[in-house]
Formats: sequence, C-alpha cells, structure tokens
Amino acid sequence: MAYHSGYGAHGSKHRARAAPDPPPLFDDTSGAYSSQPGGYPAPGADVAFSVNHLLGDPVASVAMAYGSSIASHGKDMVHKELHRFVSMNKLKYFFAVDTAYVAKKLGLLVFPYTHQNWDVQPSRDVPVPPRQDLNAPDLYIPTMAFITYVLLAGMALGIQKRFSPEVLGLCASTALVWVVMEVLALLLGAYLATVRSDLSIFHLLAYSGYKYVGMILSVLTGLLFGSDGYYVALAWTSSSLMYFIVRSLRTAALGPDNMGGPAPRQRLQLYLTLGAAAFQPLIIYWLTFHLVR
Amino acid sequence: LELGINFDHIWQKTLTVLHPLKVADGSIMNETDLAGPMVFCLAFGATLLLAGKIQFGYVYGISAIGCLGMFCLLNLMSMTGVSFGCVASVLGYCLLPMILLSSFAVIFSLQGMVGIILTAGIIGWCSFSASKIFISALAMEGQQLLVAYPCALLYGVFALISIF
Repeated sequence: MAYHSGYGAHGSKHRARAAPDPPPLFDDTSGAYSSQPGGYPAPGADVAFSVNHLLGDPVASVAMAYGSSIASHGKDMVHKELHRFVSMNKLKYFFAVDTAYVAKKLGLLVFPYTHQNWDVQPSRDVPVPPRQDLNAPDLYIPTMAFITYVLLAGMALGIQKRFSPEVLGLCASTALVWVVMEVLALLLGAYLATVRSDLSIFHLLAYSGYKYVGMILSVLTGLLFGSDGYYVALAWTSSSLMYFIVRSLRTAALGPDNMGGPAPRQRLQLYLTLGAAAFQPLIIYWLTFHLVR
Repeated sequence: LELGINFDHIWQKTLTVLHPLKVADGSIMNETDLAGPMVFCLAFGATLLLAGKIQFGYVYGISAIGCLGMFCLLNLMSMTGVSFGCVASVLGYCLLPMILLSSFAVIFSLQGMVGIILTAGIIGWCSFSASKIFISALAMEGQQLLVAYPCALLYGVFALISIF
C-alpha cells in the first residue's frame, strides 16, 4: 500500500526529528505552525498520528489520514472566511489587557466621579493598547460580563423554578439579540449624525457591553438583598454608567473634530451621546427586572 | 508494544493539577494528548450517572462550547497562538477535582452551606491550576486572574450540573 508506506515514512521522519531534543511524546503542534501569519495549527494531524499506532490496519490509517486532511482543509477555509470579515489584529488590540487594568476599569465603571483625565492617549501609528492606557476601551470586560450575566440569569431563574440547561440557552439568545439590536441602533445613529471619528464597530461593542457589569451588580444585590437592594443598585450603576459613557465618548467622538466641526453638528453628536447614555438604564431595567421578581 | 499513550506524562500532568501551588513547567503542554482528558470526562459522566442525573449530552455540549470559547479567548489574549487540542487537553486535565465534587454529590447532597463552600473551593482549585498551566505554557504575564475567570465560569457550569 503506497499510501500507508508514505504515511509511515512521514511518521518515521517525525521520530528521527525528535531524536536530537528530549523526545516529545506527540507532535508539538503549536510550534510547528508558527510560520503561518495567523498561527493557527491544525490539531487533527497529531491526533491522527497518535491513533495510528493503535490501528495497524492500512485501510483505517488511510481513512484517518484522509479525514485529518479534510479537517485541516476545512479549518483553513473557515479561517480564511473569518479573516475576510474580522481583522484579527484589530480585535487582538482590544484583548491586550492585564489584571491591573481590569481591576481599575471595573472600579471606574462603578465609581467614575473622581476620575480626572478622560483623554485617550493620542495614537501615533499603533493605538496604545489598554494595558497602558486606562481610558482605552477593551472587549475583555464586556465579553466576560455578558457571559457572566447569562449564567447569572440562568441561575436566578433556576433558583425560582428548577434549573435546566435549556433556560441557559434561552437567556443567552435573548441577551445576544439585544446586543445586536443596540449596536445596530448605535451604528445607525452614528451614520445619520455623520460622526466622523475613530469609533469602529468594536468601540461601540465595547461601550455597549460595559452596561452588563452594571446589570450583574444589580442582579446580585437584588438576589442578596431583595428588591429594595435591586432598585438601589440599579439607580447607582445606571447613573455611574451614564456618567462614564458621556465622559468617555465625548472625548472619543468629538476629539478629532473639535477644531473644524460646525456647531450644529457638534450639538447633534452631543445629543447622540446623551441619548445613547440615557438609553442604558432602560435596557438594564428591561433585561434584569424579571430576574429579581 | 507502543500505544502512543505515555503514562508517565499523563501522571506528570495530573500531579501538576493536583498541586495547585507548585509552579508549572511551561514545556509539559507541548505534547497534546487527549487520552487523559477523555478518561476524566468519562469518569465525570459516570459519577453524574451514579448520582442519578442523566445529562451526559449536556456535559459534552457545554465542554465543547467552553473549549471553543477558551480557544478563541486565549488566541486573542496571548502573543503566541494556541492550538485547540492544547486547550481541550488542559481543560480536560483540570476537570479532575470536579470529579471529586460530583462523587461527593453521589453520597451527600451539595445544596447546603457546606456544599456551597466545597463547590466554590473546588471551582477555584480547577480554574487556578488551569490558568497556571495556560500562562506558563503561553508566557502571558499579569493575566493569570483574567484567564482564571473564564475557566471558573466554565467549571461553575459543570458544578451547577452536578448540584442541581
């Protein structure tokens, strides 16, 4: 079987290559593909290789090789499509955070009133990552807050009735729909007001995702302290969130335009920012009150 | 007769999970092996079955989604990339303390205060060792808590399935 011997030779080449350094047991998949720009290795190959020892039967190993090549082919196709829509480097910028930044940002979301300097550091070539600039938006906090909110909602509903994993799926899809609708509304508003700024869709996603932190806090206090605690927490987090968004977006949206924009356009942008901010407590209330019945 | 399953490596990785305070070696995750995690997943499902919860499909579904999510997050957060097999392998190994929890749930019910404290402790243990292995293998500094939090969410869902 020519195919099998070819595959076997491939395997022995791996063994020969492994001899100089301390023998790794399976293939080092993450290292082998580092030359690729995206660095996405296909794990199908090493699993196939290790299972090959179990299957002495040549036909099965042929099938395994074919299957793994199809798997890696499919994976490459998925990555190519993904790269066409989402630029990985721009997305990576939003996740370059560390623990100190996250802690300070969460503190800022809950108590923004004493923060003095809201300007994002000016970008020369590459925007300053959130690690070094507290005012830069990030996507880690909104993503984690969203997932935590879904789990918390599932748990809250489960405490009231019986917990079942279908409830989790329902909460997840509801919240996702709301996120999509809000981002679309913000995009529409920005387009109509012809806001010319560097607010990409990821910025909008980040700022609209920050309210999930407030939602989580409100639901938690509602669960712990009853519905009075819920309304107190709701009022506090809504007001701090509104303050936070207005201060951050004012510098981000109006910054580059400050010199040349005509007055009515600036006022329109201000109204847009205020409207977006005022919209947040409504959404927070809408998405959480049924959890703290 | 070489089966391609190195018991010594599996044992080494298991020890790393079981000693959460010991610093992990970054190179142990160079070999992606799914045999250990498979065994742990099956053991977890078996203990759930013993406790009377026939929710095996949910365990698989949630672990698949969770692995996918961790894979995307780690690729976005680290400088070097990470392979899906590596993520699945680490998460599967750190499921070991969760098996202890679900075997407890067979005998005692976990819905009291003791159960909640025990569950919280075990979730913390799992996520701490998972994040420790991830940051040593991917050389991410200052992000251990950030990696531990999504792991805690994932293991929290598993714990929810064990409790309720």
